[in-house]
Amino acid sequence: MAKPAKKLVIVTEKILLKKIAQIVEDSGATGYTVVETGGKGSRNIRSSGQPSVSDTTVNIKFEVLTPDRVMAEKIADKVAINFFHDYAGIIYISDAEVLYAHSFCGPEGC
Amino acid sequence: MDLLSNFLMDFVKQLQSPTLSFLIGGMLIAAFGSQLQIPESIVKIIVFMLLTKIGLTGGIAIRNSNLTEMILPAAFSALVGILIVFIARFTLAKLPKVRTVDALATGGLFGAVSGSTMAAALTLLEEQNINYEAWAGALYPFMDIPALVTAIVVANLYLNHKKRREAEYASKQEFFGEQQDNRVKIWPIVKESLQGPALSAMLLGLALGLFANPESVYKGFYDPAFRGLLSILMLVMGMEAWSRLGELRKVAHWYVVYSIVAPFVHGLIAFGLGMVAHYATGFSLGGVVVLAVIAASSSDISGPPTLRAGIPSANPSAYIGASTAIGTPIAIGFCIPFFLGLAQTLGAQ
Repeated sequence: MAKPAKKLVIVTEKILLKKIAQIVEDSGATGYTVVETGGKGSRNIRSSGQPSVSDTTVNIKFEVLTPDRVMAEKIADKVAINFFHDYAGIIYISDAEVLYAHSFCGPEGC
Repeated sequence: MDLLSNFLMDFVKQLQSPTLSFLIGGMLIAAFGSQLQIPESIVKIIVFMLLTKIGLTGGIAIRNSNLTEMILPAAFSALVGILIVFIARFTLAKLPKVRTVDALATGGLFGAVSGSTMAAALTLLEEQNINYEAWAGALYPFMDIPALVTAIVVANLYLNHKKRREAEYASKQEFFGEQQDNRVKIWPIVKESLQGPALSAMLLGLALGLFANPESVYKGFYDPAFRGLLSILMLVMGMEAWSRLGELRKVAHWYVVYSIVAPFVHGLIAFGLGMVAHYATGFSLGGVVVLAVIAASSSDISGPPTLRAGIPSANPSAYIGASTAIGTPIAIGFCIPFFLGLAQTLGAQ
């Protein structure tokens, strides 16, 4: 008993956290998970500007589960058009199966 | 000649002072690839403590001082903050291979104020028993905010102008930017600056010093811990400066020239205006040094995120690299002793 879903992953600069969270919420997704993360990409830019020497936690990774591909692509397009011209970022999507979730699956369960 | 020998003596003394020696130490161990790490959360708490202490000092002192004296220096601070951005617009931006938006962001960052540089200057003034107005630290926001606002507004005006010109050539330009509202709003920038970690800590300290009686925690905690914590912050900034040098190599070399020359030019302009206030309203020479140093300093904590959000198309490697890797060490290592020496020479006459 699993409900099929799409898992959308957005890795980008921490400074965009609030703006992307807003886009995800506006799209109708019921929730999201954000983790602070680090890594290296083609831009290799750190924009937090904090004088931190342990400089690995300045990227964020959003994970959003959406019931269909349409909603996921809507979020991805909006984020990419608004931010990825000027900020570092990558978006990918994969299939997922939700096993347990209260509001995502509805009252009957997954 | 007098000035030169004075300056050299002060400079050697500065090299041995905890402030600068920790900065150089930080650069050295970073250069040798040391694995030493100071966690980011500790850096944040240090910045909070330093600026709260500066705020508290100011707040406690303001209670029994005449605030009308502050008007002229505060006005000069704002003037210098705005002027610095336009200096960058008409010097740095005109140099080859320098993009105008990058230059404006760099100007904004150099116009904005570094709390740690200011803390270092205040410590040195105290060590040398030079008096300054206790509210001098409160000049910080008067320079910081106008500089950031001017940089962001001018950059966006420039970008809009450029976009309109491009749109005349190609009418099919709908993909990027078109759906955004391109009008620059000033209030959100001011709000973001005030909400930044450094400024909010200082304003909180000011308010607490002014309206509450924080003397006991001030004497028992904030004041004694101040210098030790400053030395840790200096170490971190030295390490950070070294690690950012690599980023600076990727952008035009003119940024290196700018970040060496600009702190002195900005500081001298502020020093001159400070001397005007000195003769007009009796602004102390120590206060003139503080004004010159905050003009020479470039923001390292709250400025970069504000600029990144306000001018997204500017390359952060250019402005953060210029400020953190070169601007800040120059301001702390060379500008502070320079302006101190200048004030001492003028005061001796």
